[in-house]
Amino acid sequence: MQVNFYATLRPIVGSRTVQFDVDENITVQQLVDAVVTRFPRLRQELLNDNGDLYPHVHVFVNGRDAPYLPDGVETLIQPGDTIDIFPAVAGG
Amino acid sequence: MALGGYANRIAHVDLTNGTVEYRGIPEDWARKYIGARGLGVRYVFENGPQVDPLSPDNLLCFMNGPLTGTEANMSGRMAIVTKSPLTGTVTDSHHGGWSAARLRWAGFDGVLVKGKAKGPVYLYVQDGTVEIRDASEVWGKGVHDTVRFFRERYGEKDLSVIAIGQAGENLVRFACWINEDDRASGRGGTGCVGGSKLLKAIVIKAPKKMPKAADLEAWKPAHKNALAAIMHEQNITSPRKGGLSVYGTNVLMNITSTMGALPSKNSMLTSFGPGAEKISGEYVKEHILVDDPTCHACPVACKKEVEIKEGPWKGLRMESLEYEPAWSLGANCGNDDVNAVAKLIDLCNDYGVDAIETGHPISIYMEATERGYTNGDGGIAWGDTMAMVELVRKIAFREGIGNVMAEGADATAKHFGHPELAMTVKGQGIPAYDPRGLKGMGIGYATSNRGACHLRAYTPAAELGVMPFGSLKVDPLAWKGKGELVKIFQDVHAFSDSLDLCKFSAFAEGVQEYAAQYAAMVGVEFTADDVLKAGERIYNLERYYNNLAGFREGSDYLPARFIQEPSTMPGSQGHVCELDEMLAEYYAARGWENGVVPESKLRELGIID
Ligand code: SF4
Repeated sequence: MQVNFYATLRPIVGSRTVQFDVDENITVQQLVDAVVTRFPRLRQELLNDNGDLYPHVHVFVNGRDAPYLPDGVETLIQPGDTIDIFPAVAGG
Repeated sequence: MALGGYANRIAHVDLTNGTVEYRGIPEDWARKYIGARGLGVRYVFENGPQVDPLSPDNLLCFMNGPLTGTEANMSGRMAIVTKSPLTGTVTDSHHGGWSAARLRWAGFDGVLVKGKAKGPVYLYVQDGTVEIRDASEVWGKGVHDTVRFFRERYGEKDLSVIAIGQAGENLVRFACWINEDDRASGRGGTGCVGGSKLLKAIVIKAPKKMPKAADLEAWKPAHKNALAAIMHEQNITSPRKGGLSVYGTNVLMNITSTMGALPSKNSMLTSFGPGAEKISGEYVKEHILVDDPTCHACPVACKKEVEIKEGPWKGLRMESLEYEPAWSLGANCGNDDVNAVAKLIDLCNDYGVDAIETGHPISIYMEATERGYTNGDGGIAWGDTMAMVELVRKIAFREGIGNVMAEGADATAKHFGHPELAMTVKGQGIPAYDPRGLKGMGIGYATSNRGACHLRAYTPAAELGVMPFGSLKVDPLAWKGKGELVKIFQDVHAFSDSLDLCKFSAFAEGVQEYAAQYAAMVGVEFTADDVLKAGERIYNLERYYNNLAGFREGSDYLPARFIQEPSTMPGSQGHVCELDEMLAEYYAARGWENGVVPESKLRELGIID
């Protein structure tokens, strides 16, 4: 599965897009677990002490922030879905 | 005046008579309207809402706030306040750098300019005096040459130059003032007002002389807490760690495109697809970034200086490849060439036109071309960068079709017979957020007192969950609650714009920090509630001005495209902006009657007796 990383996360993973070797039919939460397992430095960037995504972190599934999907981070990722992970970003 | 902190000195310049008078600030105005934006609006209000923006009678204010040029973080901001020739509303536009601090160090809270000179002039500000001097040697020059000229004449040390370019001289309605080559007071056509008065530049020579707080004991913890908030915030402002500090404002390009909130190709689309990455802050950092400049007293250093490494503009260095203009001249025009984006923004700065506004008449021309609306006016393809460069020049010099475009987006769309192509509110073009994907921006644009604007109410802070320390996060696609949210943001920002602190302080500081710094600097009791009350008063005064200038019921609207044409892109697909619902909520929160401030509200806020 391909995951795109942005802003300050990108230097940590070393490229814009990273291929993850994960089972099909995993949830967003399971994907995030796989991401922080492969890149342990991302844990403190993405997850709070309880292991939940920080409110300022965004895991987009086809452009929609996962917490706003009907099943939230338990949403099953479908083949062909686009996954984009952002840290807090703002400016304007 | 009993308040500390202020210089309590305003220069009143009459260019018709060639006179300069120095007066204190009426204390009641300082208490009620604080400084910079708020105080500037009060002076403009006093001058009368009926004034023709391009007549000698219009008042052009260069205003500082009580924190400007002090030790306070991000306090290098100046507000230029006037009646806008683009919108017909009151407008204020801020820039960073050092000119605001230097104006304060020279002994001023503001310079108010009225009348019209007999020939081109500039103001020379030094050590408590303002002199009107002959500018005929620089009239006709671009901003960069003008800045260079004054640096050679007066020496670079302790010098700031705020100038208009040829666009201001030629009365382009969205001409702006540029400070120190790259920092734009971009919006609303304040440079056009300067041009109408034959005022080319404000030149300030002042060594550092930081004003002291009236209550030094209270100032120390107030300053320390505000600084700690910025340094420890971790995600946005934290120096060399937060996204704003590392990538600059253009860190936004990818996220807004991903979530279907980046208006592209004149807002026909809500995402720029793969093009966004190619003009993003990440791409800039990896390919053309050379330095991270900053403003007075700012540890964030969000400015990003770039150097073009190849192609026709090789060697160009500039430091304003910001998200907004990169969107306007990039995604908005179907242009994914980052070098061309840098060149176009630099051209806008040199000619002195608002780089956000300039993309609008160009993208309208592009859409008109695609739809076959241009008749005898030729055409321009999306992303044709060479033609864009030429068009910016034509706008600045009002040549050919550029003469139409110089009148603004509404006039351009009307010229092609299709006013619906103008993505404007009250005549001013929208900035870089599509209200179908970030709905708070929709109600923010519609109710902004200076025409479409992202900075009156920066709701993405809540819609992207980046309020200080995660205090508030709301769904960008929900509309409920956004009317009330926008009111609060507008009031808080009206206050910070009056201090005048950089808007980005709000990613780390809150109303407590603002209240504590203001209270200590001027030596009064002031609470977080007082911050909101003062902000509300300023916002209502602006609205009252606009009401008197003819903006009545029905003046708060959005372009039909955002309400009638659903987004077709991922993230916001199928969504429109529910403006009417949010407007009802907003007016209820404001206590306004369909956009008009009732007399009872004016009385309650102390705007009228
Ligand atoms: S955050 Fe950026 S714009 Fe604001 S004061 Fe600092 S350097 Fe200037």
